[in-house]
Amino acid sequence: MFDAALFYLRPHVIITDPMNIYVCVKHVPDSAATIRIVEPNQIDENITFLLNPYDENAVEAAVQLKADSDDTDVIAVTVGKPAAIDTLKSALAMGADRGIHVVTGYWPDSIVTARALQAAIIKDGLPDLILTGKAAIDSDGYQTQFRLAAALDIPVATHVGSIARNDNSVTVTCGLEAGGEQVIRMRMPCVIGTAKTLNTPRYPTLPDIIKARKKEIREVSIDHLAIEPPDSRMEIIALKSAVQKRRKQMIAGSIEESVTELIRRLKGEARIPLS
Amino acid sequence: MNKKYDAIIIGAGVIGCPISYELAKNGYKTLTVDKLADAGMGSTAASCAIVRAHYSTVDGVAMAYEGFKYWLDWENYLGNVKDEKGLARFMNTGSILLKSQGHDWRKVKSNYDVVGVDYEEWSVERIKEAVPVYDLHEFWPVRRPEDPKFFDPPTRMLEGAIFCPEGGYMSDPALSAHNIMRAAEAHGSEFLFNVEVVAVRDDGNRVTGITLKDGTQFDAPVVVNVAGPHSYKINQMAKGVWDGCNIKTKALRHEVMHVPSPEGYNYLEDGYHTSDGDVGCYYRPEVGNMFLIGSEDPKCDPQEWVDPDEFYAGKGGQGRDNQLTEAQYKAQSYRCARRVPDMQIPNQPRGVVDLYDCSDDWIPIYDKTDLPGFYLAIGSSGNQYKNAPVAGVLMAELIDKCEKGLDHDKEPLQFKLRHIGRTIDAGFFSRKREINYNSSFSVNG
Ligand SMILES: Cc1cc2nc3c(=O)[nH]c(=O)nc-3n(C[C@H](O)[C@H](O)[C@H](O)COP(=O)(O)OP(=O)(O)OC[C@H]3O[C@@H](n4cnc5c(N)ncnc54)[C@H](O)[C@@H]3O)c2cc1C
Repeated sequence: MFDAALFYLRPHVIITDPMNIYVCVKHVPDSAATIRIVEPNQIDENITFLLNPYDENAVEAAVQLKADSDDTDVIAVTVGKPAAIDTLKSALAMGADRGIHVVTGYWPDSIVTARALQAAIIKDGLPDLILTGKAAIDSDGYQTQFRLAAALDIPVATHVGSIARNDNSVTVTCGLEAGGEQVIRMRMPCVIGTAKTLNTPRYPTLPDIIKARKKEIREVSIDHLAIEPPDSRMEIIALKSAVQKRRKQMIAGSIEESVTELIRRLKGEARIPLS
Repeated sequence: MNKKYDAIIIGAGVIGCPISYELAKNGYKTLTVDKLADAGMGSTAASCAIVRAHYSTVDGVAMAYEGFKYWLDWENYLGNVKDEKGLARFMNTGSILLKSQGHDWRKVKSNYDVVGVDYEEWSVERIKEAVPVYDLHEFWPVRRPEDPKFFDPPTRMLEGAIFCPEGGYMSDPALSAHNIMRAAEAHGSEFLFNVEVVAVRDDGNRVTGITLKDGTQFDAPVVVNVAGPHSYKINQMAKGVWDGCNIKTKALRHEVMHVPSPEGYNYLEDGYHTSDGDVGCYYRPEVGNMFLIGSEDPKCDPQEWVDPDEFYAGKGGQGRDNQLTEAQYKAQSYRCARRVPDMQIPNQPRGVVDLYDCSDDWIPIYDKTDLPGFYLAIGSSGNQYKNAPVAGVLMAELIDKCEKGLDHDKEPLQFKLRHIGRTIDAGFFSRKREINYNSSFSVNG
């Protein structure tokens, strides 16, 4: 199955000009929501869920690339429970052309998610670029993009802060741990994990949202994708809430002194990027 | 020996603080207690703090118009007191009431004429000139986005608007309560925070004081319930008070959204407070060039009555706790975006959720009770922030007159509004009244 995918993928890029950009998006709990753990490994899902904020950068990048070339199709793909359709609608309102929802009855691990994404994408068309956010804010796994690229046997770069498209390749800059950057050229198709610094995602307007209502969302059950069951799965055994400890810090001195000190602490300990 | 005061005020919100202030100015030795850490930290902190005159009753308009005069002259009202936190500011944006089927604006207009409110009638063209980002089609009836008809294209235009040049909002409602507390302290008022009232004591004839959770007791011949969304709980602590109220209060959950203004439009500097019954929303500028959007309680919106203790502890569950819900975020932001189509709607909801202390007819209760010495300034129903300074004067006068023998139930206090010179029958706010069907039964009062 993987080899067949390879066979389809490679020639496609060389002979075609129109681009298919697949953007993988995840339906995640709102970071502002109060998360309640109801069973050892479940959260109470009766909270606001939304398009993974990191994936907004991926959708934005795809929509900007589309603006540069007329003949580009941006397809948002998600794997998740029925409610995840709302996340596809958000991606469509931001400018994606259509959506694919791989419907599951549970939240799969990154092995199954990557295989489901791969199968859904291959079934749909021939990708030139696959974009994802650098991670999902719920599981923080940083895995799916790599597993998806491996499954498709194509290159992947993550933490991407700029994308330049050439004829059949892309040049990207990747942020490195120590603050450095790496410039990478990858043949298309390839997978790009977008960094927050790549762009500022647009906010849709109501007319965008209304237009998105008419866009196609194809639903396919994960059972109909006949993905190869993995030999082993990741299983979340227990979830524990983060204990937030508030510490009071007093800043003494004149107004000027205390403001300077406050800014220093915000920039330092709190790592808030103040200019 | 319990410490003694002339009056104890339960609740240091924007309504409790001016009552302490006015009583202190009249020579009362007051103690104001609050279970939170500072003045204005209760429902006042989440208030939209909009100051507008349109109400569905003449007395409602008169009270609000009188209130303006205090906000416009804030420093003088406070006796030029210093507050280390700074002073709240009145942002006089002017106030647009769109003429629509969602508001009985003809009644408002005639109330304005009776009270003498300064206003202009605006055509659609004039509104468009003032606020170019508004789409002035009619979208009535108010619907929620779950209803497919919500997205139907409009066919007709609105008629216009009533514009009040005086009107706007206070920059920081919690700070405004804090300012009033400092002014009250300057007249000898005492404030005690982080203390919870658990009992209202009486001697069989009249109120004698309060008991705190840690057992401390304070004595006073006058106790005033200004506990905001907890008002009904305090009423139930005072003998005979709950049963003696024909109008009851309870806590209603209300969500307020902050949504970015259209790109290139400076709503913060150039925008107006707007009441838009046509889409069931009110909106005003907010820091960060945001539209602050509240719901005008149209019929299609569910009413979520909650237990305030569960709500504030975040334990009520979805739609009953202090977290924004996706459904209401979409309802309010999409409705407002019908009027402001270029408004930017982030995927992530932003805003605040708090509680109205809602009365049966959405008109407040400023009154005595069946327990002598126990008074009520409750049922603010999402619309009494603007009246807080006036409520302070009214309550201080009512308390003083009743303590000196006035039978307010039989011969209601005739209350003179100092600035606009009108006298209103304070019986209008009686706990014994029948439900006032002139009310809009919404935040519009
Ligand atoms: C979301 C929202 C938006 C609003 N927008 C507007 C607006 O735009 N314009 C307008 O005019 N009005 C508005 N209002 C209404 C207005 O803000 C309120 O009427 C006003 O703030 C109420 O003030 P308060 O002092 O009665 O109540 P609060 O501010 O709630 O104060 C009551 C205090 O009592 C304390 N308390 C309660 N129980 C106890 C106890 N047992 N022991 C000790 N202390 C206790 C609480 O801690 C609290 O601090 C809005 C209200 C809300 C919730």
